[in-house]
Amino acid sequence: MSKNSIIAILSLFAFLGLAMFYPSSTTPIKTTYPSYWPKPTYDFSKNPLTQEGIDLGRKLFYDPILSSDSSISCSNCHLSFTAFTHVDHALSHGVNDSIGTRNSPSLMNLAWHTSFMWDGAVNHLDVQGLAPISHPAEMNEDINNVIKKLQRNSYPSLFFKAFGDSNITGEHLLKAISQFELTLISCNSKYDSVMQKQTVFNSQEANGYKLFKQNCASCHTEPFFTNHQFENNGLFIDTLLNDYGRYNITKNPNDSLKFKVPTLRNIEFSFPYMHDGRFKNLSEVLKHYTKNINHSTTLSNHLKNPITLTSNEKVDLTTFLLTLTDKNFLFNKNNSFPNELFHPTEKD
Amino acid sequence: MKHSVFSLLMLFNCTVLMSQNNAKEVLVTIEPLLNKHILILEKESSDFKTITNLKFYLTNFSFSKNGATIWTEKDSHHLIDASNPSSLTIKLNSDNLDFDEIHFLLGTDSLTNVSGVMGGDLDPTKGMYWAWNSGYINFKLEGKSKGTAFEFHLGGYSPPTVQTINLATNKNNITINIDVADFLNTIDLSKQAKLMSPGKEAQHLSKIASSLFYINE
Repeated sequence: MSKNSIIAILSLFAFLGLAMFYPSSTTPIKTTYPSYWPKPTYDFSKNPLTQEGIDLGRKLFYDPILSSDSSISCSNCHLSFTAFTHVDHALSHGVNDSIGTRNSPSLMNLAWHTSFMWDGAVNHLDVQGLAPISHPAEMNEDINNVIKKLQRNSYPSLFFKAFGDSNITGEHLLKAISQFELTLISCNSKYDSVMQKQTVFNSQEANGYKLFKQNCASCHTEPFFTNHQFENNGLFIDTLLNDYGRYNITKNPNDSLKFKVPTLRNIEFSFPYMHDGRFKNLSEVLKHYTKNINHSTTLSNHLKNPITLTSNEKVDLTTFLLTLTDKNFLFNKNNSFPNELFHPTEKD
Repeated sequence: MKHSVFSLLMLFNCTVLMSQNNAKEVLVTIEPLLNKHILILEKESSDFKTITNLKFYLTNFSFSKNGATIWTEKDSHHLIDASNPSSLTIKLNSDNLDFDEIHFLLGTDSLTNVSGVMGGDLDPTKGMYWAWNSGYINFKLEGKSKGTAFEFHLGGYSPPTVQTINLATNKNNITINIDVADFLNTIDLSKQAKLMSPGKEAQHLSKIASSLFYINE
């Protein structure tokens, strides 16, 4: 009898030991988006969102520990208040004051994106983080070294909470960052309210929307204001950067000078514009599309016919573009620097 | 009460043990060679070749008999690393040992390349993933030949570089040789000693790499 009890107790311990390898209780988070949006392309079943995973990803996003000299975090080039782009900087910055070759893109509605980076070099959100971490002009760090640093820091317990494993892996590190990024959904602009019949455009905005649908929507397709394709939008090449975009990845001459069509959501705050940030404001952008198109062989079919807009029409179009500003998104406290995650004891 | 808990646990343990006993096993040993001699990293061969790094993925293992597949390994991804002896042995828990051919891929299939981040042997920390042009490196060979340093990172899924390898065998203990000298002897290193991006050249060299595998029975 006593022998039996001992065996039973030992077996129970064995079970408890096994149970420790599985995630403790996590809090599942459901992704919500407007009913008229299509289903996300991201496969959430392979990386189910949990509050613990999102919190961990958010902390990693804001932690310069990811860079070689602990000076640069993701948020250096992706600021929450400007739709997660580097406002007022044409080209993104990295460690040792190095300057990259591209304008950091805004981050939102990423679960619907089919490729990442201006040239589509990255094929999945989960592996996107590897690119800036390893780039010498960005974080200039090796992912194995990032993990070593995280393992010595306060992170193992956070990884255990999120993934049931305190031993940090590349998979869990990247999945956590994805989880935070997947929560960055912008769907509460005036445009969205109009689509949901909660409000109406004023006459200027309505005329701008009409002009937008006639001249811009074939590339900047609703509801994401991008068709997620690569297009040559008629920019003359910057002879210092010599950036041929998609061609650098595919080596297909038909892809020369093509870049991923960026979203126009929150465009009011995501200046400067274009892959190299050459235009400071929307009036320069409209001037480009109406006056300065470079008719090279790979020019987008949608730009072969000239776009003509009167100065009043330009104002109306700009007024419409401002209805894509989503203040709920830009000033959402869940997206900004998580003071409570870095300094859990200090209450503000 | 204690008795019933105990019996339940014992029943569980017995089931686990029995299922383990039923599993059959095929042992595959990968034997990297250099000029028909066992490859020793950093050691120069008689014809002045030194290998410093040899890593490759073998995936999607299956067995067939008379051309019909009889067993396929699930989640079959194995990173072979010449510097890590334990990676050179693969246990295949096939429930059917009556086969006359073994099949596998050199590299990872295109689905694996577009499915986001994965763990285990596919974790990007293994140094076999391209950060700036998404996709796995299927085959990595680095070293020196007669003073010329070479670096071949073959991979990419568009165009596909993954190769199918079929070898005849009916043994439960299979040794698969791969002689990297045959790869280096096929290539003119004075013209090409480096490749680190996907494309047609990666496709061409991947075909050569897949021809290196053989069974000596």
